[in-house]
Amino acid sequence: MHGKLPDLIMALLARPGIGPVLIIAAQAVVSLLLIVALYGLARLLKLGGDARIADAAHAADLARAALPGFEPVEISLDRARIGALVRDEAGRVVLVRRHGARFVGKQLTSHHGIRLDRTMLTLETGDPGFGTLTIDLGAQAQVWAASLRRLGDHAA
Amino acid sequence: MTAALLSDLAQRAAQAGLDVVPFAVPLFIITIVVEMIWAARHDRTAYEPRDTLASLLMGLGSTIAGAFAAGGIALASGWLYLHRVATLAPVWWLWIAVFVLDDFNYYLFHRAAHRIRWFWASHVNHHSSQHYNLSTALRQSWTGFPALSFAFRIWPALFGVPPGMLLTVGGINLVYQFWIHTEAIDRMPRWFEAVMNTPSHHRVHHATNPRYLDRNYAGVFIVWDRLLGTFTPERADDPVQYGIVHQLGTFSLPVIAFHEWAAIARDLWRAPWAAKAGYLWRQPGWSHDGSRETSDSIRARWRATQDDAAI
Repeated sequence: MHGKLPDLIMALLARPGIGPVLIIAAQAVVSLLLIVALYGLARLLKLGGDARIADAAHAADLARAALPGFEPVEISLDRARIGALVRDEAGRVVLVRRHGARFVGKQLTSHHGIRLDRTMLTLETGDPGFGTLTIDLGAQAQVWAASLRRLGDHAA
Repeated sequence: MTAALLSDLAQRAAQAGLDVVPFAVPLFIITIVVEMIWAARHDRTAYEPRDTLASLLMGLGSTIAGAFAAGGIALASGWLYLHRVATLAPVWWLWIAVFVLDDFNYYLFHRAAHRIRWFWASHVNHHSSQHYNLSTALRQSWTGFPALSFAFRIWPALFGVPPGMLLTVGGINLVYQFWIHTEAIDRMPRWFEAVMNTPSHHRVHHATNPRYLDRNYAGVFIVWDRLLGTFTPERADDPVQYGIVHQLGTFSLPVIAFHEWAAIARDLWRAPWAAKAGYLWRQPGWSHDGSRETSDSIRARWRATQDDAAI
């Protein structure tokens, strides 16, 4: 096994016309090192901060931004203010969650993936990219869990 | 002596093309560091390390994809030049004329990239950050070549513009657009804002606010937007929210690079035959059953809720 990889590398280097590919590879490696250095600097400077939802009005703005035409009438904030559940008059529900130093929101369209554990509500939007979020809504968790069961075509 | 050197450089650039982007990389890095220090002092949320990492890696991937695509683009522009209907000598004023023409072609490409879903699928990744800083400028496409976006920029070769000249001015255009991706600069002098694309104008372009959606497509000269009715100024009473209408909520590179292509594939699979093509060439957000929203419909609904004076 020893020597196979070096032999392979030597064989690749010996191929005619390999020059431009090597230049691209070398540039990519240097760029990668610089990128890691800039990422490290951003962390060192503590950029990004610790984003939290300030209050219900902030959560309402975030929900409006997430779903065009959405006008909130009911808002519950996570105790740590990293997420929120927001409902409009038509019964549409938007889940807001932290994403880095910003927030994103997504409409909940189904009761699937919604789980209640005392004051903790775990929610899935059906979008794998958005992921699953567990939020602590205190006493409101049970109220929300009950109402969210009516979401979707196959409501329990 | 200097004039002779410049003339020689211009001649060689017109023949073989001079890619100015690698020369600008040290400037990119230094200014990003300066902006990060500015952010640390003024607004820590202006940068997010993972967002920056994603943007820079998208830039690296775009460079690698571009290196492999360069041969294809050179071949296509060379073929056009071979079949040219005129021959233009690369004199100094032609450089200026081609730079202006290429910037107009960039405007056309950019407008198409926002109004035709096929091109949007390649361009959307540049808008997918919820931040607006110099690293966002480097969040570039991996799929520009297969999307055939370059067709907007190489057609002047058929009319006798040397392909090397097109490559050179295209690179200068790209480098210019780097510095306008910042919140650190509020406004430039009035005369500059009137003619040139600036951080303020381009912040509007990266906004998701209904007022600002699909506006300010310019690359270097904002005059194209002013002339063609797509200009909107930034307003203090409507602070810019950055990103895309449906935010991704992830720093995953494959999602950033390919999510819209995957969405198109899903739509093509599910849509009735008569509607399939619409998911390729109609504007982003279009759907055959009207269940989705386009930037036009979002703006129209927002306008309906505003007083005329506030619009």
